[in-house]
Amino acid sequence: MNPIRWLVGRFPTLALARRNLSRATLRSALAVTAVVIGVVAIGAIGMGGEAFKQDQLEAYEGFGGTATVEPASYIEEGNLTNTELSDGDVDRIRQAAGSATVLSVHEPTDALVQTQSGTLLFRAQINGLANPGEFYETRNGTIPDNWRQTVVIGSRIADQNDLEPGDRLRVNVSDEFDRNFEIAAVLRPQGFSAPLGADRTVFVPTSQFESGGYEQVIVRVDTRTGSIDGASQAIEQEFNAREQVVRVEQVQEQREQFTEFFSTVNQFLIGVGAISLLVAAVTIANTMLMSAIERESEIGVLRAYGYPKRAVVSLLVAESTILGVVGAVVGAPIAVGIGMAVNQLLLGDPLAFTAVGIQYVGLGVAFGVVTALVAGLYPAWKAANKRPVEALD
Amino acid sequence: MAPAPGDDGVTADVTGGTVPTDEIIRGTDVVKEYETGGQTVRALKGVDFGIAPADFVAVVGPSGSGKSTLLNLLGLLDVATSGDVRLRGEDVSTFTDREQTRKRKETIGFVFQSFYLIPTLTALENVEMPRMLDRTPTQTRERATQLLERVGLGDRLDHYPDELSGGQKQRVAIARSLINDPDILLADEPTGNLDRDTGDRILELFDELRTDENVAVVTVTHDDYVAEAADRVVTLIDGRVRETEDRRANFEEGPDT
Repeated sequence: MNPIRWLVGRFPTLALARRNLSRATLRSALAVTAVVIGVVAIGAIGMGGEAFKQDQLEAYEGFGGTATVEPASYIEEGNLTNTELSDGDVDRIRQAAGSATVLSVHEPTDALVQTQSGTLLFRAQINGLANPGEFYETRNGTIPDNWRQTVVIGSRIADQNDLEPGDRLRVNVSDEFDRNFEIAAVLRPQGFSAPLGADRTVFVPTSQFESGGYEQVIVRVDTRTGSIDGASQAIEQEFNAREQVVRVEQVQEQREQFTEFFSTVNQFLIGVGAISLLVAAVTIANTMLMSAIERESEIGVLRAYGYPKRAVVSLLVAESTILGVVGAVVGAPIAVGIGMAVNQLLLGDPLAFTAVGIQYVGLGVAFGVVTALVAGLYPAWKAANKRPVEALD
Repeated sequence: MAPAPGDDGVTADVTGGTVPTDEIIRGTDVVKEYETGGQTVRALKGVDFGIAPADFVAVVGPSGSGKSTLLNLLGLLDVATSGDVRLRGEDVSTFTDREQTRKRKETIGFVFQSFYLIPTLTALENVEMPRMLDRTPTQTRERATQLLERVGLGDRLDHYPDELSGGQKQRVAIARSLINDPDILLADEPTGNLDRDTGDRILELFDELRTDENVAVVTVTHDDYVAEAADRVVTLIDGRVRETEDRRANFEEGPDT
């Protein structure tokens, strides 16, 4: 006996189911397409989300051992009080943190940036910094040793506005200055979670600011020689012994918050993907109902010839499940392909799949198959319970 | 015409009270009612019947007289509203759906008027269909091939139904009805839409089955030619048996009618 014959003999229900599906090829193909869309939606959203998360977490890796110190502002008599850290505060932080690098940051709220041609860069943020080179590496250009007269910009600003070293920007910070700067360097992309949102920031030398107040101080400890926990505690002790004067937050904590937040967003997106599988379920149920109605008399014949109800249910459920399996088999590689594209885009390596990312494909496949199976149950039950006498009339 | 080997064994009538042991199915005072559109229709109004091995019974009568209903009851596709139907002495009204299905598979072969061949299956696979779930593919295939050869379609095994003529489809349907080695073959208009030659061949086949395998044939027909070939002719009119022709009648009106 040839192997196909053997298989048919072994799994007659599957063989019959497959042939029944081939009878309405287009209809079957449409139902399969619905499953493919669902599986791809879940798989690709899940994997893409994972890649995005990895990308962001990688960005955080660079900031291990980093904490931000901000004044703990409060409202007194209708005014926001304690909004800045003074030079003296920065010195105290420097002493408390020991060997750490301490970067004081001006974050003017009332500031504008314009290109040479007069375009306003709405999204740009302006930070005053003594030396961004302590924190960031450049993509093009170099930051001069004694940095006083030029600006350094984040990669996103540069890309979105076609700016490069040598171009000029007009920066206006109210009550401080309003002048043109040459761009000295563009920084490497840092990811949106980098402290200060470096990618969309225009860094101006601190020396340009007259006031001595800083909105934020960044403390970084070389993790090989010191601990950011220790530095954070020392700063807390120095300032917050009696009341909270500063807020110290480690980037690590932010990372955890981010991970948590991101999981929620990803679950929501996957939920949206799952809706497409719900639509697929409706499509399959409809396909199977139509098919069962069309073949009513044929199913009646099966019953008349001694096929038990169970066999009829198995046959029709096998048909809908085959639709789901084919949809999953077609959808999974597409989802993986999309995942590879996203990996390449965000992580620079098409094969940078995480275990969790791959699990999403598995989830999509499992959902696709189970959805199809469940969608086939009612039509199958309905067909099997039709009395053969009625079906044959 | 072939001898009717069942004749000698089937001498019972209900009024006589003797139930021959070899009878396959017997009905006594069978009534069947349907609900249609809020109305109760009495399709059979108290009919007695009995089928013994190798019988050839033709059921005739105008449409709506209850022929199909009777065939459905004989085929265990339906149960009587009242009256007693026994399959080899067992009361069929006590069967669960599963038992009924199993008995149907063991006992009955159907040849439907419009054949109901499955279009995606070849002639051979259509014949195998009733046994496809039995997981005995080799025996099933052998048997199906034999049956198709027997009905003269040995050269059409791999043809699909739409590649076969009406007569050929009819013969595939007959071969299919025999795959489970039934005791009774129920044929609805077996020669309808067939030319006389093909019809003759089908009647010859029925005779062969009766002689060789003791299969009883019950057929509903409008065709006098078929009725003439039968041992017994039962005429149903308005749910009652009106007359029986020449031979011993196992179909009679019930005692209460």
